[in-house]
Amino acid sequence: MSTTTIAVGSRSHGFRRLMLTELRLFLREPLLLFWGLLFPVGLLVVLGIASPSKPEHSLGGLRLIVVYTPTVMMFTLTILSISALPAALASYRDKGYLRRLSTTPVGAVRLLASQVLIVLGLATCVVILLLLVSHFAFSVPLPREAGGFVLAVLLAACATTALGTLVAAVAPSQRVAAAAGSLLFFPLMFFAGLWLPQAEMGTGLRDFSHYTPLGAAIPAVQNATAGHWPGTVHLLVLAGYAVALCAIAARLFRWDR
Amino acid sequence: MSANPLSAPLTLLRDPAAGPVASVDRLRVRYGDTLAVNDVSLSINRGEIFGILGPNGAGKTTTVECIGGLRRPDSGSVTVLGLDVRSNAKELRERVGIQLQASELPDKLRVGEALELFASFYRDPADPERLLSLLGLTEKRETRFANLSGGQRQRLSIALALIGRPELAILDELTTGLDPQSRRETWKLIERIRDEGVTVILVTHFMEEAEYLCDRVALLHHGHVIAVDTPAALGAGMGERISFRPARPLDLEALRQLPEVRTVSRDGERIVVDGSGDLVAAVMAVLVRERVVPEQTEIEQSTLDDAFVALTADANANAAEETR
Repeated sequence: MSTTTIAVGSRSHGFRRLMLTELRLFLREPLLLFWGLLFPVGLLVVLGIASPSKPEHSLGGLRLIVVYTPTVMMFTLTILSISALPAALASYRDKGYLRRLSTTPVGAVRLLASQVLIVLGLATCVVILLLLVSHFAFSVPLPREAGGFVLAVLLAACATTALGTLVAAVAPSQRVAAAAGSLLFFPLMFFAGLWLPQAEMGTGLRDFSHYTPLGAAIPAVQNATAGHWPGTVHLLVLAGYAVALCAIAARLFRWDR
Repeated sequence: MSANPLSAPLTLLRDPAAGPVASVDRLRVRYGDTLAVNDVSLSINRGEIFGILGPNGAGKTTTVECIGGLRRPDSGSVTVLGLDVRSNAKELRERVGIQLQASELPDKLRVGEALELFASFYRDPADPERLLSLLGLTEKRETRFANLSGGQRQRLSIALALIGRPELAILDELTTGLDPQSRRETWKLIERIRDEGVTVILVTHFMEEAEYLCDRVALLHHGHVIAVDTPAALGAGMGERISFRPARPLDLEALRQLPEVRTVSRDGERIVVDGSGDLVAAVMAVLVRERVVPEQTEIEQSTLDDAFVALTADANANAAEETR
């Protein structure tokens, strides 16, 4: 293959190329593709097949698969933004790649931006895929309050990517970033109901979980699915996390080893 | 592949005006309590390969980081291509190419992708294909960074520093970790880059490299500039040594009286004469007059290496004097 580029360089051209390159690199990580894309879809299918098709009283009269669909969406968000994102950013810093980019006109900030956008884009694709699979295979209703659903998922994505960036900011190395990412995964996903649906949690535990980033996203998404506008408190919790974590990450982020 | 990819110029000089490409004036950089760079002033001319030499911790990298706009000086000024580094960082990133010490690329990024990527950052980049062939990386285009050898990584790093067609290229510890063969090839490459009109600042701690490549060198020691000159002049200042075995006994006084001679000593059967200027001719004239045939004659020209050792020793002695 012989590619001759008569490149008319410009900042936006550089950013597009950077995005494309980062996307390619993302797609060259088989583990990431498995955990971020294949596993959530597989999990949803297995849950859909294995779970009883009757509504359960303990889940507020909903079917198990209906309750789990938002949780699986949050699973994807968490894997992509708390595991993949900080690992990539920290490894780029360890390698001196961020510093190398900061000597070019494009700058290292755009690399961070491209990583976040790719995570958001991939998460969006998987969320749409999960919606379609749950709807067509297991008759889970599509969100009746589409605007509220989009807003809730978007805020949750902003909160988790901000948290991932913060992990990358404070982790001294790629190894620590990866370890911190997996440590955070368990409590975050616990409160999102991965092991115990929020409906089955005790009142105190459930109330507490609504103040965690993913725990707040679950009722917001469920409300939107049922056709109501998500609760203001839940949206505010998500927005609060997104803004606060972003601000801290921006203050603490180190571009240099 | 076209007939000769090397024939077309790599860069087109945008501003061939005379005057220094970079000038550093009374630069100071502090790390905690220590002054890493203390009162460094340099002037780098257009089209030269300017070497910055010194032992580890001399302040070489810190100095070029200030020139490259990567680090803010605590005091002093740095002007590059006529622009103040502090207020023109953006424009200078477009026109200065930097090869950083030990900087890596993402493991799974391919060589060709890296060049295309970096080319997209600049207004008017060089042709990636041409740079690949110039650096002998054409066959590695599809190879991932993680699978490149040390020499190939270094060459890719140089290619990325040149892809924006910079007027000034800063190359830090260019050949560290390379085998002698790759090192020589890299040197040839740097000369070619200079011949295409790029000014090069080369940071190194290899005297041999500076001697081979640099038009001028600055010796740095403990954050100070202790000498700036051509490698030959720095070496010549240290003089020459001639040693031989006289075929019959010789009166050393005759040699000692020569103005070119600094010291004369015996080393077993050999006589060792240190001095400067036209030392060899003067010594030979005495031997002819005295009818002494020199056997096993050896002439040693002082090198940059000797100059460096002597100058840093002087600097240390002065520093010791001052603290007393």
